[in-house]
Amino acid sequence: MGSLTFYFELPDSAAEFSVSKGGTIYKMESEKNLQALKDIVPAAQNNINTKFILLDKGRLTLEGQHKTCLALVADESAAVHFQLWGDECDAFEPGDIILLANGIFSYNRNNLVLRAGKRGKAEKVGEFTMTFVETPNMSEIRWVPDSSDSKKYVQEAVISPYSRIFPPMH
Amino acid sequence: MASRLIRKAPHEAENPIEVSLRESFQIVEPKLRPPFLLTIPTQEEYSNLNRAILYGILCESHLANVHIKHLHGIVTDGYGYFTSLLINIVNEVYGKLFDSVKRQLIWVAHETMHVSAVGFDGLMVAFLRQIAGGDFSEGNLWLCFEMVSLFLSKWESLLEEDPSVLTFALYVFLRLLADHCRISNVERIEALKRIEIEFCVKMLREQLCLCLKIGRDLLRLLQDLVHKPEFCAIWKDLLLNPSSFRTEGFADITQIYRTRTSSRYFLLRITPEMESQVRFLLTHVKLGSQKRYQVWFTKKFLATPERETLLIDIVRFICCAHHPSNEIIQSDVIQRWAVIGWLLKSGKKNHVEANMKLSLFYDWLFFDDKVDNIMNLEPAILLMVHSIPKYIDMTHSLLEFLFILLDNYDLDRKAMVLGGISSAFHILVRKGVVQSLDVLVSCDMLSPYLKERLRKLLPDLQLHYSREFTREQHPM
Repeated sequence: MGSLTFYFELPDSAAEFSVSKGGTIYKMESEKNLQALKDIVPAAQNNINTKFILLDKGRLTLEGQHKTCLALVADESAAVHFQLWGDECDAFEPGDIILLANGIFSYNRNNLVLRAGKRGKAEKVGEFTMTFVETPNMSEIRWVPDSSDSKKYVQEAVISPYSRIFPPMH
Repeated sequence: MASRLIRKAPHEAENPIEVSLRESFQIVEPKLRPPFLLTIPTQEEYSNLNRAILYGILCESHLANVHIKHLHGIVTDGYGYFTSLLINIVNEVYGKLFDSVKRQLIWVAHETMHVSAVGFDGLMVAFLRQIAGGDFSEGNLWLCFEMVSLFLSKWESLLEEDPSVLTFALYVFLRLLADHCRISNVERIEALKRIEIEFCVKMLREQLCLCLKIGRDLLRLLQDLVHKPEFCAIWKDLLLNPSSFRTEGFADITQIYRTRTSSRYFLLRITPEMESQVRFLLTHVKLGSQKRYQVWFTKKFLATPERETLLIDIVRFICCAHHPSNEIIQSDVIQRWAVIGWLLKSGKKNHVEANMKLSLFYDWLFFDDKVDNIMNLEPAILLMVHSIPKYIDMTHSLLEFLFILLDNYDLDRKAMVLGGISSAFHILVRKGVVQSLDVLVSCDMLSPYLKERLRKLLPDLQLHYSREFTREQHPM
């Protein structure tokens, strides 16, 4: 049954009651070629495809007509501030694993944030079963234009190893 | 494409299970209406038809009878693939399904039973696991009712074809009854309780040999129900009148205490989602990084006070059904004892706390290294030892509880319990799980009374521990 194994990777034996480990067996097409958060660089384009777990949410604020909400998200390599927009603010909760397609990492009102932007899409693909680190935080790094290519940004200094907005939970 | 199986929240990705079924349905839809083709399908067509028919049954309930007839006409594998699809749906997405789809699932489960489908027992297990402990929501009580009704109405054929399913069901309903009996005067729950009691009593009175397959945890659950007259009577007969069960070879409950319960029973009281989260915690999360995961787990599974009784099942599951590899034991991943320590602290009600401790120590009471596994003992001793000095109250309350069990658990079989606890301590030291019990016996912060009792319980261990320098590897 070669064509089925992609979605239905059944337990070896149902009688053994084994279950698939949540979130790990269903790799959708869109989960290929994901970028690690430690490798994201500020840019003006929507081109970031990545997957992360939402750790914490800040307070709702209004930007004009629209709700926004800052969140702390992370993967195994780094953390970053993620800006939720509109109904994303209520749709995502801490512990949700989110797949971001064509996201953008850029300055928004002086804050360096990752977000879906107008052309990107953020979707919940799982819960809980993802490891993460809270340092480095890519939003807490000072970036400067590259001396050889002014369109590119390079890391200049670490402002804070951890998020100053969402401190680690111990 | 609108979702017809799964209640999808905004910004939630499409579920791959639904996508797969729906795609098959779209591919073969013209073939799903009579007259059906009589040609023999290829393997791929056969798989597609199975998925499409299942999608049709779940989404088009008015055509379910047509679809099931179609299935009967094409099936060549004893319904094995069809049932495996059902099991996968129940395990992976049951909680998110529309109510109408859940009803269709139960209907089709009855159908798979009529045809003795390959894998039917696995399907029943999958459903039983979806009944959440301590959950009094309408949907959960509905599933309880549907399942226990199925077992009673199909009693004879189950007995003949799949008796092990009845044993699994007994474990589940005995455990659920303990929760349901804590609520009184709610008519819906009263009706459910009556039928659950009817099923459990029928099992115990008529099919004790099937019940005995559970092993010692059968008694742990039964003892939690002796306040109900029906179970009190059974308990008395088990003790005083064992021949009344007319079960060959059963003479005394000591033999039940001596039978270790298979880990598959503990899985029955943990949903697959809970299982995957607990296992993830115990295989991926480093000690010190667990806080956020604990908060999420609590919010999802332990949000209301009634749900607390779930903690008892999780502790038992961790002790008996999740045994880490040596690699994990030696890594910086959070260990079982630490997770159990957190769970013990999460229980607010006295009866939950006591039952959690009983779950933790249950295999200690009857430990026999010929049938038992040292890994079932390990979390309790490590929790006691590692809680010194910072959480000495934990060490104290656990050790105290162990001696309360020794003194009171079964007055007629005190020697057996004494032997079990003593062997448990001995093997834990001998195998190097703890290097010695010195850390307990000479702990200044521990009450002199408990230390004295330990010394009395294990006089010979005192002489030997200093010679135990070599630390054996943890046995698996």
